[in-house]
Amino acid sequence: MSEKSKTLPKELQLVASAHVKYIQSLDTRKDEYEYWLTEHLRLNGLYWGLTALHLLGHPEALPRTETIDFVLSCQHENGGFGAAPGHDAHMLSTVSAVQILAMIDAFDDLEARGKGKAQVGKYIANLQNRQTGTFAGDEWGEEDTRFLYGAFNALSLLGLLDLVDVDKAVDHVVACANFDGGYGVSPGAESHAGQIFTCVAALTIAGRKNLVDADRLGKWLSERQIAGGGLNGRPEKKEDVCYSWWVLSSLEMIGKTHWIDRDQLIAFILRCQDPENGGISDRPGDMVDVWHTLFGLTGLSLLEYPGLEPVDEVYCLPKSTTERILGK
Amino acid sequence: MADQGGSAHGIARTSRVRTEEQRKVELDKIAKYRELEDQVRSGVARGDTSPGLFQLTSKLLRLNPEYYTVWNVRRRLLTSGLLSKSSAASSPLTVSLTASPTATTTPPSAALSSSSLSATQPSPASPTAGRSGTTADSPAGEGKVSAADATPEAAAAAGQKKDFDVLKSELEFTIPLLLDSPKCYWIWSYRLWLLQQVIDRLSVSMARRVWQEELGLASKMLTRDRRNFHAWGYRRHVVAQLESPRLGGESMVEAEFEYTTRMIRMDLSNFSAWHSRSKLIPRLLDERGADDSTRKGFLDEELGLIREALNVGPEDQSLWYYHQFLILNLVNPVGHPTLTPAFSLEDRVTYVTREIQDIKELLEDYDDVKLIYEALLEYTLYLGQLQGRKLDGAEKDELAEWLQKLKKLDPMRNGRWTELERECGLVEMEAFET
Ligand SMILES: [Zn+2]
Repeated sequence: MSEKSKTLPKELQLVASAHVKYIQSLDTRKDEYEYWLTEHLRLNGLYWGLTALHLLGHPEALPRTETIDFVLSCQHENGGFGAAPGHDAHMLSTVSAVQILAMIDAFDDLEARGKGKAQVGKYIANLQNRQTGTFAGDEWGEEDTRFLYGAFNALSLLGLLDLVDVDKAVDHVVACANFDGGYGVSPGAESHAGQIFTCVAALTIAGRKNLVDADRLGKWLSERQIAGGGLNGRPEKKEDVCYSWWVLSSLEMIGKTHWIDRDQLIAFILRCQDPENGGISDRPGDMVDVWHTLFGLTGLSLLEYPGLEPVDEVYCLPKSTTERILGK
Repeated sequence: MADQGGSAHGIARTSRVRTEEQRKVELDKIAKYRELEDQVRSGVARGDTSPGLFQLTSKLLRLNPEYYTVWNVRRRLLTSGLLSKSSAASSPLTVSLTASPTATTTPPSAALSSSSLSATQPSPASPTAGRSGTTADSPAGEGKVSAADATPEAAAAAGQKKDFDVLKSELEFTIPLLLDSPKCYWIWSYRLWLLQQVIDRLSVSMARRVWQEELGLASKMLTRDRRNFHAWGYRRHVVAQLESPRLGGESMVEAEFEYTTRMIRMDLSNFSAWHSRSKLIPRLLDERGADDSTRKGFLDEELGLIREALNVGPEDQSLWYYHQFLILNLVNPVGHPTLTPAFSLEDRVTYVTREIQDIKELLEDYDDVKLIYEALLEYTLYLGQLQGRKLDGAEKDELAEWLQKLKKLDPMRNGRWTELERECGLVEMEAFET
């Protein structure tokens, strides 16, 4: 697996097997307070961990049947998924559920043992604001382009994008654009790399990438790389491994990945590894977590670091998954 | 997904090894947490709507403000008993049921009579009472229905007073949590929901008072972290509501513009404040009814302000983005709200040329600041586009020189510089020279 990188100097090596062990250990930490405090992220965490394992070439490292059982145990009557059993349904966990089931080819189980694809599609579609085109996270109404992207991601994987008003949603994304080529969380909000990813990816799924001001956006995104090689999310902010995903995937979608320094970013991400216990942190020397582990790996994958499976820059899933489902 | 909750940002890596004693302490903490969680869950399962359950949610949320399901439990407890039932009057269904044409213009809660009376059960002590000495302990049940409230109007007023107290107390409850976790989406979202309840349930004047105080909170959060984009977004939302007819509002664009000026004076490199300013300007000029010469004067002033800032901080990206915003107004007036619609092509060319000239002067003091070269490149290309002409030889020489500088000063983005070099047709030219 990381054999190919073995020839690289030590500080440029990915400690792949330590990362696999780290991810496998996540669900065994029930004697840590943090484990219980983060239950509201359990399904997201499973998606982050499982995607990382797929990119590392170890999809089998988490047992498939138990994974499906757990995902289905989070589903509500209305089709939506909560973060864990006993947690309310929410767009974010519903998208994670769909992504997990997509990755392990388990939509049939959703049909047979869960509430079915159609019900999931209905839950998501009902969260669209039909006036403005954007989406809420749940019945309580908080709206954000993150939810719009999530809806597009999950619905297109389910083959149900026609349940929503795509044109209205596209109009909303366009209204979030700024003069610097970036996008904000809502119309009027400043450009932010996370939001740029959600907006550009949503436009890509809708087949409307032509609406992006690629040149100006590319400039803004490429300026996110700062001394030390890492990327930040906004001007004059610190670098952070998770932006290796938000910034880089956006650059990839507009064909400008070569506008930043590949080698320096690779070196930065690798410096954030915990070489003993596995996992990747936001910056060198910080606590690792599964979120930064995934986005460090997706970043490396986009940069074609040897030995990693290719990641889909729009869906944040292994390319093999989106090829199987979408025929891309 | 773009949810950053629960990830470790900026926490130093330490060894995971715990002593047996530490492990026991942690297990104990877990047991207490899970017991509390169980109590909340079984209360919900029983259909409990008592203040007791409400207080348990306070306790749990103080331990874990990311627990979104518990925020939802709290919302349901509020709407199913702790708040008066009157907000239904603002839902479309009830409006269509009230036959009287005047009913729709009455404040929502006043539109109902007997039902709001029955819903206004005597409220127990403050539902958020708990942590000692905080404002959340102030009683929220002052609006109790008494015999004197028996008329529909009095009952409605009492219902509103009670809702006011409950909602205020809830808003107080979230403050310490927000100060501790200013980036927690769930707290901000709960707070916005509360404020929507304020609009739906209270009279315009009461609601306005509450929203006015929100502006103070937004300012406070921005004083603590000038770039917190939750707080900036929150501020925009609060201002939009305060301006809306639902709160009897009027434009606050002058005051908000003033606010960005203050924030910028405090910290020139506050990109968020510059951004906010750029969004306010088109409206500001429209509302001032600015004529062409006023607009020109305004642009001159803004250019002066930003140039002054650039003179001291040319390595600051925030400043350049704002400068770019002003320049784009000149070179790309179509499709953008423009500041100076009356400018002739000649005016635009004059302005851009002058800016390029001034930026070149910056090089005298700062010849190793890459953002200066980047701006020169970009604006020179704009100038050509504006005039619909190809760049002349002298300009191309300059471009080539700046690109060489950029490659040296900013090698990280060499891919970009090389591409630009090709696009400008400079590669062949160099080949000639060598
Ligand atoms: Zn991060």
